[in-house]
Amino acid sequence: MPYETIAIVMFALMMLMLMTGQRVFGAIGFVAVIAALLLWGRGGSDLGFAAAMKLMKWYPLLTLPMFIFMGYVLSESKIADDLYRMFHVWMGPVKGGLAIGTIGLMVLVSAMNGLSVAGMAIGATIALPELLRRGYDKRMVTGVIQAGSALGILVPPSVVLVLYALIARQPVGQLWLAGVFPGLMMAGLFMVYITIRCQLQPELGPALPKHERNVPLGEKIRLLRAGLLPIFIFASMMIPFVNGWTSLVESSAIGALAAFAAAILKGRMTRRVFDTSVRQTLAITCMFMWIILAALGFGAVFDGLGAVRAIEALFSEQLGLNPWTTLILMQVSFLLMGTFLDDTAMLVIVAPLYVPLVGALGFDLIWYGVLYTITTQIAYMTPPFGYNLFLMRAMAPPEIRLKDIYSSIIPFVGVMIVALGLVMVFPEIALWFPGYVYGK
Amino acid sequence: MPVFLLKYVRIVDAVNHRLGRVIMYGIFVIAAILLWSSISKTFFLPSLWTLEMAQFAMVAYYILGGPYSIQLGSNVRMDLFYGSWTDRRKAWFDAFTVFFLIFYLGVLLYGGISSTTYAFEYGERSYSSWRPYMWPIKTLMCIGIFLMLLQSLSELVKDVAKLRGLEV
Repeated sequence: MPYETIAIVMFALMMLMLMTGQRVFGAIGFVAVIAALLLWGRGGSDLGFAAAMKLMKWYPLLTLPMFIFMGYVLSESKIADDLYRMFHVWMGPVKGGLAIGTIGLMVLVSAMNGLSVAGMAIGATIALPELLRRGYDKRMVTGVIQAGSALGILVPPSVVLVLYALIARQPVGQLWLAGVFPGLMMAGLFMVYITIRCQLQPELGPALPKHERNVPLGEKIRLLRAGLLPIFIFASMMIPFVNGWTSLVESSAIGALAAFAAAILKGRMTRRVFDTSVRQTLAITCMFMWIILAALGFGAVFDGLGAVRAIEALFSEQLGLNPWTTLILMQVSFLLMGTFLDDTAMLVIVAPLYVPLVGALGFDLIWYGVLYTITTQIAYMTPPFGYNLFLMRAMAPPEIRLKDIYSSIIPFVGVMIVALGLVMVFPEIALWFPGYVYGK
Repeated sequence: MPVFLLKYVRIVDAVNHRLGRVIMYGIFVIAAILLWSSISKTFFLPSLWTLEMAQFAMVAYYILGGPYSIQLGSNVRMDLFYGSWTDRRKAWFDAFTVFFLIFYLGVLLYGGISSTTYAFEYGERSYSSWRPYMWPIKTLMCIGIFLMLLQSLSELVKDVAKLRGLEV
């Protein structure tokens, strides 16, 4: 059997196995080891364990449990409540202001952790009930929270960019800095969309009633202090890192401990919060690590078959496409796959296929990291598979139905596609900042 | 259901539960190693051992914690179809597809044991200035994978029991 056929059979078999609903890592791992055994006999039996040893050497992966822990500490201890109050009081009087404030809240939460889970949990438990009570449209609210929490993987620190860095062999520091301005731009675009929509249809996001607006100025100023917390946590992580005093991994540990210390100092670290954070950190870390472990084995078989080279030859030589057409086709296929592939599976299976291809086409891999992340964000939100959709369904109150959640994302996905297009056409949006910091 | 199977489930679940409850505090061990690494780098001589020690701790954390994560049901599944099935149908499918998982873990363990045997026989060390022996971590990994295997079998027994209308 030619190698391309084997590669396609493996891929199809994996998709089929995933559909049975068995644990993702079991399905991927099984296809990997059975293919290795059939291809290379007894020599292939080491492949699975060799992947575990290779995984151990991927030092930046140590940031994963740290950021997960940080996210759980922040969302479980509810130290973000004050932050929400701050935006509530300052933005409330504007039409759609609470929704705009929620995006602002999400930007700050994103700067304190690297996954979208924490933003989701904070948004769904703190912002969602408040906004619904103030008469905001439920589709507007769920859309805002899902779109806002997706910022978590683009604004540094970002776990997705760490994983991308491992695959693309690019420096994580530059990737993180490249994510800053596209992330802020996307948040800005969300805010513009909300403002315009709420001006046109004020019933979607009514301004706070008069009696609620009269917060004394002193109180307003006092609430601004809540904004110091994320700045403190972000700075404790980023200053030693950018100055080269600590490595990325060490900084993530400092950030996790800073968040933990902040929760203790604020008196929010109860036994229950502590137990949930520690337990869930183990659960989510295991989930990620076992999938990556299985996918590394799968990738090793794919590499052994030379599947990447075959696909690149197909695009550039046989179809005669120029690099830009190929890149756009890749992003479109990525978006389509994102709608039905689980995003963790996508990260570890599609990325090793696409990233070398982008490099071979002569594009900047730092820039592509940003495109890749935005595409992943969209995949997080698009049905039927989407991490954010599932989380939203799990966390939202019962009056929000699945249909609402699905339809709420449409305008926000539109805005994200605009952002993706902007970064594609103007790479400087992503690249000027790392160039400025590292070019000194 | 034969009594020894029920006993097996109870023992395996209890062992893995307790192990997981201990291992979950490993997050603080990893964080402490990394913190010491940054302190020693900034104020004294950089420690040689921290990088690899943190890697070993991380591997032990996720491999030994694996069985507990299965108990917690945190391993994602594609729920395009699975999500809408009844509990009974889920149990039916799982009772078959868990063999794929068991097969994968079996191959993983096989490779692990051969790699660990090698590490013992030749006194394998890591290529670094600290040069730690590799057998302790490899042994831990094999134990973890083995416990993972036991836990998968326990899940199988529980699914079969559920299909027979028993709650374990």
